[in-house]
Amino acid sequence: MARIGVFVCHCGENISATVDCAKVAETMSGVPGVVHSVDYKYMCSDPGQTMIRDAIKEKNLTGVVVAACSPRMHEPTFRRACADAGLNPYLCEMANVREHCSWVHEKSEATTEKATDLVRVMVEKVRRNEPLFPIKVPVTKTALVLGGGVAGIQAALDIANAGHTVIMVEREPSIGGHMAQLSETFPTLDCSQCILTPRMVEVAQHPNITLHTYSELESVEGFIGNFNVKIRKKARHIDETLCTGCGLCALKCPQKKIPSEFDAGVGTRTAIYVPFPQAVPNKPVIDTDNCLYFQKGKCRVCEKVCPTKAIRYDQEDTIIEADVGAIVAATGFEVKGCDFFPEYGFGKYPDVITGLQFERLASASGPTLGEIRRPSDGTIAETVVFISCAGSRDPAKGIEYCSKICCMYLAKHAMLYKHKVHHGKAYVFYMDIRAGGKMYEEFVRRAIEEDHVSYIRGRVSRIYEEDGKLVVKGADTLLGGRPIDVRADLVVLGTAVVAGEGAEELAQKLHISYDPYFFFAEAHPKLRPVETNTAGIFLAGACQAPRDIPETVSQASGAAAKVVGLFSQSELSREPVIAVVHRTAPPLFSKCVGCFLCESACPYRAIEREEIKDRQGRVLKVVAKVNPGLCQGCGTCVALCRVKAIDLQGFTNEQVFAELVAL
Amino acid sequence: MTGLQDAARDLLQSGEAAVVIGFGGGSAGGARPLMVRDPTSVGDLIFDDRCVHNLAVYLLKPEVKSLGKPAIVGTQAVLRSILQLASEQQVKDRDVIALIPEADGGVRRLETLGEIEGAVSKPDAVLSPEEQNCLDEIASLSREERWRFWQEEFSRCLKCYACRAACPMCYCSQCIVEVNQPQWIPVPAHPLGNMGWHLVRAMHLAGRCVNCGECARACPVDIPLNLLNQVIEKEVAEQFGGKAGLSATASYALSTFTTDDKDTFIR
Repeated sequence: MARIGVFVCHCGENISATVDCAKVAETMSGVPGVVHSVDYKYMCSDPGQTMIRDAIKEKNLTGVVVAACSPRMHEPTFRRACADAGLNPYLCEMANVREHCSWVHEKSEATTEKATDLVRVMVEKVRRNEPLFPIKVPVTKTALVLGGGVAGIQAALDIANAGHTVIMVEREPSIGGHMAQLSETFPTLDCSQCILTPRMVEVAQHPNITLHTYSELESVEGFIGNFNVKIRKKARHIDETLCTGCGLCALKCPQKKIPSEFDAGVGTRTAIYVPFPQAVPNKPVIDTDNCLYFQKGKCRVCEKVCPTKAIRYDQEDTIIEADVGAIVAATGFEVKGCDFFPEYGFGKYPDVITGLQFERLASASGPTLGEIRRPSDGTIAETVVFISCAGSRDPAKGIEYCSKICCMYLAKHAMLYKHKVHHGKAYVFYMDIRAGGKMYEEFVRRAIEEDHVSYIRGRVSRIYEEDGKLVVKGADTLLGGRPIDVRADLVVLGTAVVAGEGAEELAQKLHISYDPYFFFAEAHPKLRPVETNTAGIFLAGACQAPRDIPETVSQASGAAAKVVGLFSQSELSREPVIAVVHRTAPPLFSKCVGCFLCESACPYRAIEREEIKDRQGRVLKVVAKVNPGLCQGCGTCVALCRVKAIDLQGFTNEQVFAELVAL
Repeated sequence: MTGLQDAARDLLQSGEAAVVIGFGGGSAGGARPLMVRDPTSVGDLIFDDRCVHNLAVYLLKPEVKSLGKPAIVGTQAVLRSILQLASEQQVKDRDVIALIPEADGGVRRLETLGEIEGAVSKPDAVLSPEEQNCLDEIASLSREERWRFWQEEFSRCLKCYACRAACPMCYCSQCIVEVNQPQWIPVPAHPLGNMGWHLVRAMHLAGRCVNCGECARACPVDIPLNLLNQVIEKEVAEQFGGKAGLSATASYALSTFTTDDKDTFIR
């Protein structure tokens, strides 16, 4: 016979203001099987928990129902209290009479009645609860970091410095990401490469980090602590063990006019190339789409000049397999190109450029060696217009969010420009100046007050070319919408930050969710910002949302802390709320008929096939089996199974049915 | 006819098949299913316009399975059933030989699932003109009228489960109506129990029904169950693409997701 204890919480006044808690407790004491029913101001407080512990011991309770808030809040609290008193924690359930009742109804008899019903339902469930025990799974103490930008670098170094091995995968030929492209960084104006490249070198030299550049994630299988990943190492067409990085091949390559990705298209590179001088690793790749030998079958100049004979035209992609325990997605972002803006010329004016392209013009290592020269004719720009919110915060363009970094980098650009061209004029068209951050507002004020950048609040409606100048037609909304025309030499668009190329595909490979803009979704926007809904996969940097460098780095360290925390134990305890396939005596063996329609329904690939054999080893039946390590307890298979051969532990068919009948 | 009988005799004599599932003469001038195991009895096999039943239902019956490898006289519905059963792991390649009587009296013999896939044609006009009329009429009804129509139809149900017994896709060893812990579907043949049974069955067949019409044919009180299933199949095909019973490796529409699935059903 069940001996159930009911504990009704007032939650201060959160519940008791509209629900008569004492009456709920009294009504429940009359339900068969309920041997103890009380109410108290704060069940989650220490005295409240002690009430539960004492009742379990004194009244020999076989089940506990706490009528209080959402189980997402305090289920662990009460389950732990029950476990302390010797009761299996899974025999404790919560009835949510706060979010589901007191918060959403007026004070009335009916509200109290509904609260009573909610408790009664849980009493019927607890009556059928079985003791459950956590599932133990081993942990592979190696992390996979996807992306070698500043987020990936920080996460990898933090994990590696904690003593765990890290595999870093970067799609491009070098690590460094967008930060390596930047000239200076706000709000301190320190050189981006100067602060980043030491970290890049540290990654390359770290004994715990294995670096795979020019590689992509091919597939992921498994689950937290036990992922199996395949990495496609794209053919560089170079024997990396022989190559010394002397650069002779790139120097002699006849294909010299290819737009450089690293220079955001404002500079050029060769077909065999190292993206930038401080690249890590300093080994070239052959861009087969532009290589004369790969396209036309003739050339092989690099092969002839290579002093160590390291060129391998016949090299093919290789697949590397690895077991990892955790994955950090740090795949970063892209910026929209100028061709996204019909009003700004669809990208056909060479002197309308993106912020990223301006970074390359301003960078000492860039194609103009840091001089602000127009891409069209190479003259020094005398008047520069910066336009913020180019695409961002614009529902008409389908990008409703704020790209967050543009206000700051455009202020920085204007400042850098004024430092380089003292007599030049810089205008910034803005909607709002968003400078929330340490020293950020001061930085923008400095641009306006000390460097005399003209800030104009208003949007630019159109840009067109006239006599070699770009006419920027805008309006000053602070002066009553007065039209303003600026004849500019160069226009820089603070284009929207968007999800990286292939983000959706990667999210699907990783089985993590993403938002409508293909930024990866965190498990909870406030309390679990670096976790994903897939256990063991974490997020760092701008793959989640537009972020600046300080935020990216702190989030990467946060993700690393989560990984290190995961790796601090040799095995993991997992919630036993998983699906199990029904088994019974022969000749049925199981209600499962082996149609395996659940196999494709399972989002975690947890359904396996199990052969039931007789003593001679003959297969009598093939039935489904749930891998307890992979199952996340979502219940999709349960809903799909026609014969209800699968049950979710803790939420069995019988329990759910009893809950419904109790209503 | 003799072509079919010859083929059956060959199969049984050579031992390639232990049983030939076909049709024989029945009572009142009708045809009935016939299991031929003895080569000397192949003369009882017939095949003509009366032979409409979907014989594939027998493939998974334990009594038939225990006889050994079967050969089955295949109509299009049988072929579609075999392929659907294969996609649900119930029939494996070379588990069954299909014999297709041809118009010239000859017989096509299909040994593998691949051959069956090649021989199956898309199910198009499987409804009689009366059934089509009835379907059009249902479609013209309002939501409430349609609900009343089916309430009316289901009120006649005796819960004899002939629809289940005749359906090749109803192969579960323990049907949901026989699961009584908990008893989701009330057993008695009252309006609630009848509605529960037929709606659950229709959902269990969604994306799996091969439209053989056997359920309606088997129903002693003439409930047009096949129309219900047919409309659901059409919905599934429109929403998620694909039709049941055309491929041995098809994925189940209700358990797979593709990015071009429509979401118009979410209201």
